[in-house]
This record gives sequence, structure tokens and C-alpha cells, in this order.
Amino acid sequence: MKARLAGLWRSMPLRLALLLVLLFTIVSLLSLAASYAVTQRSFEQAIRADLAQDMAGFRAAPGASALARLVEAESRETDPNRLIISYIGPNGRIYGNGAIARDNEGYHIVSIGAARAQYDGVYLTLTDTLYGGLLTIARSRAEITALREVFVNILLVSLLPTVLIALSGGLILALRSKRHVEVIRATLDRLTAGELAARVSPGPRWSDDLLRIGEAVNQMARAQETSVAALRQVSLDIAHDLKTPIQRVSVHLDDLDRAEATGEARAEPLARARAELDGIAAIFQSLLQLAQVEQGDARAHFTPVDLTALCRTMIELYEPAAGEQGKRLICTLPETPAHVTGDRALLGQMIANLIENALRHSGNAEAVDVSLKQAAGKVTLSVADGGPGIPAADRDKVLQRLYRLDRSRGTPGHGLGLALVDGVVKLHGARLELIDNAPGLHVVVTFDS
Amino acid sequence: MKLLVVEDDTTTSTYIARGLREEGHAVDVVADGRDGLVQATTGQYDVLILDRMLPELDGLTLLKTLRGAGNATPVLLLTAMGAVEDRIDGLNAGADDYLVKPFAFGELSARVNALARRPQALEQETTLRAGDLTMDLISRRVTRAGQEIDLLPREFALLEHLLRRKGRVQTRTMLLEAVWDISFDPMTNVVETHISRLRAKVDRPFNVELIQTVRGAGYRIDA
Repeated sequence: MKARLAGLWRSMPLRLALLLVLLFTIVSLLSLAASYAVTQRSFEQAIRADLAQDMAGFRAAPGASALARLVEAESRETDPNRLIISYIGPNGRIYGNGAIARDNEGYHIVSIGAARAQYDGVYLTLTDTLYGGLLTIARSRAEITALREVFVNILLVSLLPTVLIALSGGLILALRSKRHVEVIRATLDRLTAGELAARVSPGPRWSDDLLRIGEAVNQMARAQETSVAALRQVSLDIAHDLKTPIQRVSVHLDDLDRAEATGEARAEPLARARAELDGIAAIFQSLLQLAQVEQGDARAHFTPVDLTALCRTMIELYEPAAGEQGKRLICTLPETPAHVTGDRALLGQMIANLIENALRHSGNAEAVDVSLKQAAGKVTLSVADGGPGIPAADRDKVLQRLYRLDRSRGTPGHGLGLALVDGVVKLHGARLELIDNAPGLHVVVTFDS
Repeated sequence: MKLLVVEDDTTTSTYIARGLREEGHAVDVVADGRDGLVQATTGQYDVLILDRMLPELDGLTLLKTLRGAGNATPVLLLTAMGAVEDRIDGLNAGADDYLVKPFAFGELSARVNALARRPQALEQETTLRAGDLTMDLISRRVTRAGQEIDLLPREFALLEHLLRRKGRVQTRTMLLEAVWDISFDPMTNVVETHISRLRAKVDRPFNVELIQTVRGAGYRIDA
């Protein structure tokens, strides 16, 4: 319970509510205090004006005895709790509804009525010497005292409900957002436990920021699920793609065993087993390289690479091999260097893979076009063949690891060439397009130079 | 030559040692990194063949320690990892060459031989000769038996590379690295076709074949 309360106390909505309540209280107190001070002052001024007016009225009396009569007449109708008039005549006699005397300690008001009681309360007084006597008028400050009570009441009536409403509102919000956060946390727990299909399902009253966090969690979970699915697929593909050659190695070794026994030639099964093993090693090598390219570590030592020179080297490297297969590499390169920032070895391998791919899958078509263009801050590499091409539906799939079109199963290669091209292109922030060359495949890679 | 093999996999180390001994080298084999370091610093070796992943002390640390101690014996690093990054790491640690597992013995042998004789390759020469063939490096002309042979720039570079390393086998990957500056292994037989074009110009019109094919390894021009 204590922990729960502590948890709530740390929750954002409750803290905000408390802060607002505090702020509201301070502002209300200040404004009430200010208006109280102003009202009190104007009340006091009004009383003082009344006193001055009273004094002026009494001053109008023609003599001491007349004044004494006037005071007696006035005071008879006056409630001493409100107004006390006191005239101490020149003969020392006291007229009025109270005796007011002043000494060092201040005014003393003594009742001279029937009750003979001392007057409590606070009065504002005005004293003047008239016809040898001392006239003192005192007006009660009870109204001002009452005013303070009114203000305190106003404060209580306005502030208390506000504070209560704000606090309970904050508490409700805190509890609700705690519930919503709990939903997100539970989803994360399930994801951590390996339940990759878990998603945050937000309610209709979720706040915007929590909605966004929930959406981000879902996005992360989707990405995770996709990559795990991809990984699982790749593992299956690897298992399949390697099982077959390993099976063949085993067959060749059996053949070798039999040749040993029967005295047949052993060179052929040996060479075949070795070739299969080379193929297995090549697949592993390519997969490792692909994984490293996708990790992106190579970006750390990117340097300017002249694609014109690199293309020329690659074309020159493959030209005799192409000729031997009855193909021609037709190249269109710019006169000037075309620099991009990247990894020379990987870019070279990318070009090599594209050329090998084009040579291998160009069918009966003779020409493979390799061209490089530089324009408007872009460097565009394009490799086009006139073979059967790739059906539109398969164009994304050929970029996946180990994916091979069914009709290509008989040709050499292991379905990793274009995947590596895709990886290298992504590593360099370039764009890869597979276009129908009608007939054939036209691969375009666009770099920002 | 006296060689040290530091490799923990006994199948591989036995295979390497046997092959190298058959070629006439004296070979010591140790199976972990610490023994390797002790052996390398106490014995006088021409080339060290060092596996990258070793028990006790990994190959890269061994190599860095060795270089830090001022030992400059050429080192061929063997590794299961073949990416460019790993190659750079290995070369930065002080390796002289790098070989990715699985490898053919011919490749290893060619590279060990290249490492042992590395300093000689730096000699300044203006004319290279093999049999009745002469290569003038200044006028960039090649003649054989008095007959001028017209070569493309890359064919010239290929022939020059083989001539400078007379008597030593050059593998396909060594040629790709040296002549084309390419560190990956193309799937197509590109080097073979370049060699056969070169042979068509250099050897076919004449009776004696200068460029030899060494089965399972590479090419060589005999001294």
C-alpha cells in the first residue's frame, strides 16, 4: 500500500495537479489579501469622513450649553456600539452616551448609561476642543472586523472545493495513466519474454503522448518480429542450401570408398567433393560478408572512390571471361572521374556481382551494357542485359538472401549476389532499381556524389 | 626455411606442417597463443603462420605483442573471418598477409614463399628477363626471340608481376590483389582467361612455354 502510494506520488498527473493547486491557492490568497486591504482602507476612510462630518455638525452649535444639549439629544438616539459621542464640558461635566478620556495609554471609553458597562470593540475616534470642553466622537470599527470574516468565508468557499476537485482529478488521472502505462509495460514484458506477437492496444481515452509511446512500442515489436522471421527464414534457407551440397560431398566420399575397393579412378569423385566443399565455403563466406555489410561497420572508413576508374577495372577484368562465353561487355564511361564516398572493395564487388549476374543470366543475348553517368550531383551506374529478365513479382525477392528463380537453379551461383549488391547499395545510402529491359534486366544504382 | 605454425586445430596444423615439410621447410608447431609467443620470440623463424583464434592468447594480441617487442618476422594470419574489416584489423595489427579459411594448401605455400622473399621484390630493376623473353620497364616493350610482343597495359602488369617473382607460384587471389587491387574472389574464372590471353601472345607463337600452370595453386614463370 505504502509502495503504491509512493508510486502514485511519483506519477506525473498527480504532481501536475498538486502543483496547479498550490499555484491557484497562492494566487487566490494574494488577490484576496490585496482586495481585503483595499476595501479595509476605503471603509476606514469612509468612517473618518463620517467622523469629520459629525464634528462639523457639532461645531455649528453656538455655545457650550447648546453643544451639550445637542450632544445629549444626538447620543440619546445613538447605539453606543456603533457611535459614541462624548462631550466633557468646561465645568467637567460629561455629556453623551459614553465618557471618553485620553491619557498616555490612549482612549478610555466608559459607559455612562444604565448598564454601566465597559464598551468592547475597536473604535475610530476624533477629538476636538470646543468652547472650553473636549468633544470626542468614536465610531465602531465592527464593520471592518466583520469584513475580515466575510473575506475569510469567501476564501474558504472558493478555495476549498477547487483544491478538492483538483486533487481528486489529479488522483483519477494519475490512476488512469498508471493503468495505461501498466498496459505498455505488460506488453514490453511479454515482448521481452519472447512473445513477439504482443502489441499495445490503446484504449479510446488514452492521452496523446502515451498513444505515441504505444505506437512506437508496436513499431519496434513489428520490426523485431520481421527481423526474427527473416532470420528464421535465412536459417532454414541456409540449412536447406547447405544440406544439399553436404549430401553430395557424402555421396562423392562414398564413391571414393567404392573406387578404393574396386580399383577405379579416384580423381573424379575427389575433384567433385572438393568443388562441393568450395561451394559450401563460398556460401558461408558470402553470408558472413553480407551480415557484416548489413551491420554497417564499413562506414567508419569510407573514402572517396572514383567509380569511373573502378568500373573500368571491373570491365577490363571481366572482358576476356565474357568473350570466352561468347558475350560482349559494352561500356559507356564518362571521361572524368566520378567520385562517391564509400568502400572501394565493396563497391568493386558490387560491380563485379552485377556484371557476373548479367553475364550468367543473359541467355542467348550477346551484349551486356555497363554504363556510368554523372549529372546533377548524382552518379548513376547501370548494368543491362538482354536475357529473360526477372518477372515483376519476383524483383523484390531476388534481393533476399539465397532466393533464386526456379529456372536459375541449374546455373551456377548461390542466390547471394544481388543480396550483397542490395546490402552494399544500402550501406552507401544509394538507391537500387530493377527495371524491365524488355527483354532482360536493367539494374540501376544511383549514388549521391 | 624455418617456419613456425601456431594453430590449435590439430587436423589443420598437421596438414600445413606436412605439406610445408614436403616442400623442404623445417616446421615447428605449437597449439596455443602463449606457447606461440614464447616460441616465436626464442626461435629464429623466417615466417610465422598464425591462426587468429587461439586458446590462452588470441592471434591478434600475440601479433601486436610480437611487433611491440620489435620482432619483424613476416606473419601470415589465418582466419575464419574474411570480411574487409577483419583484413584491415589483421594488417593493422602487423600481419604481412592474410589467408581466409578454408584455403587450399597451394595458396598457403605460395603466400609463405612470397613473404619469405619479400625484400627482394623491392629491388630496382629496369629490365626483366626469362629465357629468351625480355621486358624493358622503361620503354615498356616486351620482346621474345627478337620479336616484339604487343601487350595491353594490364597484360603487361600481369607479366611483369610474374617475371619479378620468377620461380615462385602466384595464386589467382595473389594476382587479383597485386594486378587489379581486388580483395574478393570472383565466381567467374577471370584470372584464367587473362592468363590464357597473355599466353596466346607470349607463349603460343614460340616453342617453349614460359608461363607454367601449377596444379591446384596458380601460375609461375620458371627462373
